[in-house]
Amino acid sequence: MESRVITITSGKGGVGKTTTTANIGTALALQGKRVAVVDSDIGLRNLDAILGLENRIVYDLVDVVEGQCRLRQALIKDKRLPDLYLLPAAQTRDKNAVNSVQMEQLCQQLRAEFDFVLIDSPAGIEQGFRNAIVGADEIIIVANPEMASVRDADRIIGLVEAAGKPEPRLILNRLRAEMARRGDMMDVADVLEVLGVDLLGIVPEDEMIIVATNKGEPIVFEKRSRAGRAFLHAAQRIMGEEVPLDEVTEVPSLLERLRRLVGFGPALAEKRVRS
Amino acid sequence: MGIFDFITGRKKPTPGELAKERLKVALVQDRMKVNPELLELIKSDLLTAISRRLDVDEQHVEIRLAREDHWDKLKAEVPIKRQKISFEWDPPAHTTAVTGLRGKVTVEVEKDDESEP
Ligand SMILES: Nc1ncnc2c1ncn2[C@@H]1O[C@H](COP(=O)(O)OP(=O)(O)OP(=O)(O)O)[C@@H](O)[C@H]1O
Ligand SMILES: [Mg+2]
Repeated sequence: MESRVITITSGKGGVGKTTTTANIGTALALQGKRVAVVDSDIGLRNLDAILGLENRIVYDLVDVVEGQCRLRQALIKDKRLPDLYLLPAAQTRDKNAVNSVQMEQLCQQLRAEFDFVLIDSPAGIEQGFRNAIVGADEIIIVANPEMASVRDADRIIGLVEAAGKPEPRLILNRLRAEMARRGDMMDVADVLEVLGVDLLGIVPEDEMIIVATNKGEPIVFEKRSRAGRAFLHAAQRIMGEEVPLDEVTEVPSLLERLRRLVGFGPALAEKRVRS
Repeated sequence: MGIFDFITGRKKPTPGELAKERLKVALVQDRMKVNPELLELIKSDLLTAISRRLDVDEQHVEIRLAREDHWDKLKAEVPIKRQKISFEWDPPAHTTAVTGLRGKVTVEVEKDDESEP
């Protein structure tokens, strides 16, 4: 299988890039793909904590790039999934410790080992962002349905296209369907109309994400979580499966809620067992 | 807009609609700003058109986007080089009725010496 390098970026900070990278990466690995998630936010290491791997780090991305260690030595194997690996960011280094050429070479090296390489981009539009997209085949933009985030996303879309990359796809994160229905915030359709890109997924606002983050366990493992299922669906779409976009319209029926409570969750439960 | 909104006049927009409208306006401006190549293209198109009729000072042409009176406006400042402007008035063939305007037109521009750079 051709290896795919996918960068997750946003412009604005704090909209859910790292959460998206961790969860889509985990979901792809749950489906049996060999996945590397790369934290390219040098100086602000985060992805390791969301995956619960923060105390296993020995070497990091900058060490690999500078030749202090081999790529395999720096890759951290996930606790739960045999085919998921993390390449952590350097914590004590400057953002400009790595250049675009080095980053592109690193992507090439990772391609040889993995089906999917997911790169978690830092916020902003400076060198760190450019490094994150330089080796990517595809770009995923994460945005929240609010003005500042969508505006930055638009800016990023322009920069991604100027860099000669294909049109990015959008993960709309932290949607509050009830508020959108009341007209108190922008709706999915509004954001899509304004940005004019394809939708990869809609992730609802979900308190369970905070709990999951605290436990160091990606939300896709939590079968009662709608955000978890949304990330799983996004991963399935990345693999080319047709999954209906029902994340918004779907209001869980009482029966369904009960069912999930007792643990007869749909798709996810089975997939977890199979892996 | 529903029939009720139609009778009562314009409905007050919801916060969501307001955000979307504000966003659209901001994006028109952002997109032009981050896309100076487009402005350059428009500028050269304009200059090609205008300089067929007027001798303009291409070095000092300024073109930008502004928002005024609820409209996004493309504003162009095109300084004219020569004080005496002459051009051929050349109506297309299908306007033969306006024979009175055919021919050479010369405009004399009075120059105020102090206002020139
Ligand atoms: N769908 C969601 N529902 C609730 N909370 C969320 C959701 N998505 C993300 N968050 C929370 O938002 C915060 C920021 O998320 P995250 O760190 O993934 O953003 P980021 O874009 O990577 O930020 P940075 O720009 O700082 O790297 C985290 O506390 C995370 O738990
Ligand atoms: Mg992050």
